[in-house]
Amino acid sequence: MSRFGAKKGRKLPGAEFTWDNDPNGEPDTAPTPLYPKYTVPQARPLGEREQKQVDLYRALREQFHDGPYYSVLDPGLSGRRSKAARQHFDPFHGMPSYSGKYQKKKRAIPKLSGRPYVMKFFPRDDLWEAIQPNFKAGAAVDGFVARMVRPPLKRGFEDDDEEEDEDGKRRKTGDDDDEGGENDDLLEPDDEQGEEEIMDDDFEDDDDEMGGDYNAEQYFDGGDDEYGDDGFGDGGGGGDEDTY
Amino acid sequence: MTSQYAGELCTLLIEDNFGELFARIFSILNRYDRLSFSRLKFYSRLSNAQLRHGLAAMIQQHLVYHYTSYDDGITYYEPNMQSAYYLIRSGKILEFIEHRLGKYAATVMSTIMFLGHAQVGYLETLPALKPSKSDVNSTSEECEGVQEAEENQGDEVHQETEEDEKTENRPNGLNSDYAPAEQPALLHPTLKALAGHGYILRVRDAQFQSYADNTLDAERTIKSRPDIKALKGKKLEEAVAEGTLELLKERLDGDLTRGLMFNGVPRGAKRRHTNGAHGAPNKKARIDYAAVDEDEGGDGEEENEWSDDEFGEDTIPMESGITVRINYEKLDVALRNRRFLELAERDSSPVTAEVYECLLRRIEYQTAKCRDNTEIPREGEEGEHYSVPVPLRAVVEDVDLLLDLAGSVGPMEVSQPINRRGKRPLEENANGAVHESNGAQSDGNRTYEVDQHLCLLAQPPYSLTSKRMASGLITWTVEFRHLARKLRHLELERVIEARYGDVALRVVRVLHDKGKLDEKRLQEISLLPFKDLRQVLASMQTGGFVDLQEVPRDALRQPSKTIFLWFYDPDRVCNSVLEDTYKAMSRCLQRLRFERNRLKEFLEKTERSDVKGNEERYLSEAELTLLEQWRAKEALLLGEVARLDEMVAVMRDY
Repeated sequence: MSRFGAKKGRKLPGAEFTWDNDPNGEPDTAPTPLYPKYTVPQARPLGEREQKQVDLYRALREQFHDGPYYSVLDPGLSGRRSKAARQHFDPFHGMPSYSGKYQKKKRAIPKLSGRPYVMKFFPRDDLWEAIQPNFKAGAAVDGFVARMVRPPLKRGFEDDDEEEDEDGKRRKTGDDDDEGGENDDLLEPDDEQGEEEIMDDDFEDDDDEMGGDYNAEQYFDGGDDEYGDDGFGDGGGGGDEDTY
Repeated sequence: MTSQYAGELCTLLIEDNFGELFARIFSILNRYDRLSFSRLKFYSRLSNAQLRHGLAAMIQQHLVYHYTSYDDGITYYEPNMQSAYYLIRSGKILEFIEHRLGKYAATVMSTIMFLGHAQVGYLETLPALKPSKSDVNSTSEECEGVQEAEENQGDEVHQETEEDEKTENRPNGLNSDYAPAEQPALLHPTLKALAGHGYILRVRDAQFQSYADNTLDAERTIKSRPDIKALKGKKLEEAVAEGTLELLKERLDGDLTRGLMFNGVPRGAKRRHTNGAHGAPNKKARIDYAAVDEDEGGDGEEENEWSDDEFGEDTIPMESGITVRINYEKLDVALRNRRFLELAERDSSPVTAEVYECLLRRIEYQTAKCRDNTEIPREGEEGEHYSVPVPLRAVVEDVDLLLDLAGSVGPMEVSQPINRRGKRPLEENANGAVHESNGAQSDGNRTYEVDQHLCLLAQPPYSLTSKRMASGLITWTVEFRHLARKLRHLELERVIEARYGDVALRVVRVLHDKGKLDEKRLQEISLLPFKDLRQVLASMQTGGFVDLQEVPRDALRQPSKTIFLWFYDPDRVCNSVLEDTYKAMSRCLQRLRFERNRLKEFLEKTERSDVKGNEERYLSEAELTLLEQWRAKEALLLGEVARLDEMVAVMRDY
């Protein structure tokens, strides 16, 4: 590879600035190893204070997990399932079993009731309905101005009080559930009840919110659950295929 | 804080703490930044109910900002990266609070964290905060400060409440201090102590909007004022800017410390100090002098004397209408001070460190946040910024009376212990006999000694303190910006040394000290052979720690006629290391998630409501060891994340 301006016996311009080989050594033309040797750094074991911090973090996280807000996207409830979920059904572990009643229940929607909220901290149009089920959006629509101006403070307070009262009542009635949820091991029957109620809660909300929605899948699924898809796909689903 | 990895990290943290629904909403918001409800629904493909409830809960946890626009009345949502990030610091904060104010305070703190924000009235009703008898008794000794305060206050509380006709269904028996019904009695002083230290603050409306929205809002308000409208041109701009800042401060301000401070010290904090001499030997230094402790009899009397008059007004419970939340900024200050203290502990005697702690604590009470501007200023553009000066007398007051001050400083003739490393062991031997008689020291002597310790800390290289004379009084301050920068540099140097070895460290230090250097000069100064130097520089350049600048000597830019200058830019390196750290943290969390998935079946079993709590009964031997291993593994990963978080704090927050 002869270079245009390169003179014999002299180094290329800029050669003194290459750093990968020293001036008087042989150039190393061997390919670099694909996986160079690498000493994996080992983490120090945790100190006493660090251990404590981690434990506290875990405790708080645990609290969050047991709290009303922890929610997953696919709670895996046995009730209504989408078609996709049914196709991926795991026949070995998916069947409800007796010990399933001890299994930690997962929420699909954070539970908002059960504690007071300061309403003025939340956006009125979108979320007040969610936090306070009997809040009527109609009240906000009455005037053009009401929408433009932020909810006046006084109003916020009034609502606040009302809502607190209600919450207080609800808390009193719902107390048993909450207690049950906390002392799972002590009161098992109670606990079960509480969990059922939680599930109910979710569905109710679902119905309320999506009441107007037309669920096309549900339309044909009406009786399918009983007959079809239980391994006798051909026989059960026959009804569908007949129409061909 | 808006980088890819930071966003990823925050999403992972939220998922770890709150589950997938929150994480989905947050990641969508993080990707698109500012969305109205309908757009958010469209992108996230969640149902109305999921989204509504999710958003409401996230606002409650301060994970989402919202802003209702004036023009179209539409509410927009934005992710709140900062508070999402602080989820990782919760363990650190709780540990700190427990160390400082006792276990019960930490419980209160974690409850507030759990609730996002909460009204004091609601906190009163929570069963978790009703101290069971065992809980109170098993609290750490530090807590006794608060607890004892209770006992002392007890009588006064009763009198006051009887007058005020408060409905706290208090039994009339004056001595039933720890009956369960007395619960607010412990809650309120604790809340007050937290508020006095500034660890919690009042929630304001404006805190739910992002800073940019607030600024625009404030600007609009200012501009519509008639007196501003009259102005024109530059004056207008100035007035608007000034007014905006003022209004912002007013709106965002949730300071609860007002009225809870007493001579620059939160009420209840002081007691802890004097108590510390009594029964909290949390520092090793104190154990040595335990014998002296017991000899001191006058301590108890002294305590009662001032506790009566100082806690007189402190018995009013917190207003139950106040909504409180965690003040992360202030906690950053406290954690930063702890960091400085560690720095001091590293190369000075424990006694000196203790004196320093007293000074730092005094300063902490009056420092609201780590710095005034939101971004860390560039290297060299940062002005000096001294903390509030603390008079020497105040420090002397705070320092434990029984602390042996003389033992670790040189003899009195030498005014400045210059060569302290050589001298200290010698002194300790020589002063061995003096230890016993230390209890009764003259006051002036003590002041002088404390001053000596602080002088010691003022020495380079760290210059942890600096001395000021204010109208004839000696005051001590801490130059925070300088020290924060120092911390940053130390952190970077640590990284470089770990990655490229000590030769690289030397090169970087030379470059940092001298600026841009030609290779030849660099070699002369660093006294390294060419070969080593080049290798190290090359590998560091690939890592992005140093870089090369070309300065051509003629217009043709021939390499032979070009000067190549090496340089090291701490700002740049800092930023890239910060990014790497975010990435490392999020990888750790991802690994954790993966590991959890691997053991999913087993972990679900351990979380079953019947198994949880009595694992020994239901799990087999092998399962127990597996659980043990899993916990250790998780702790290690989380601990690693916490360590990385410490780096982030140094680079970003301090």
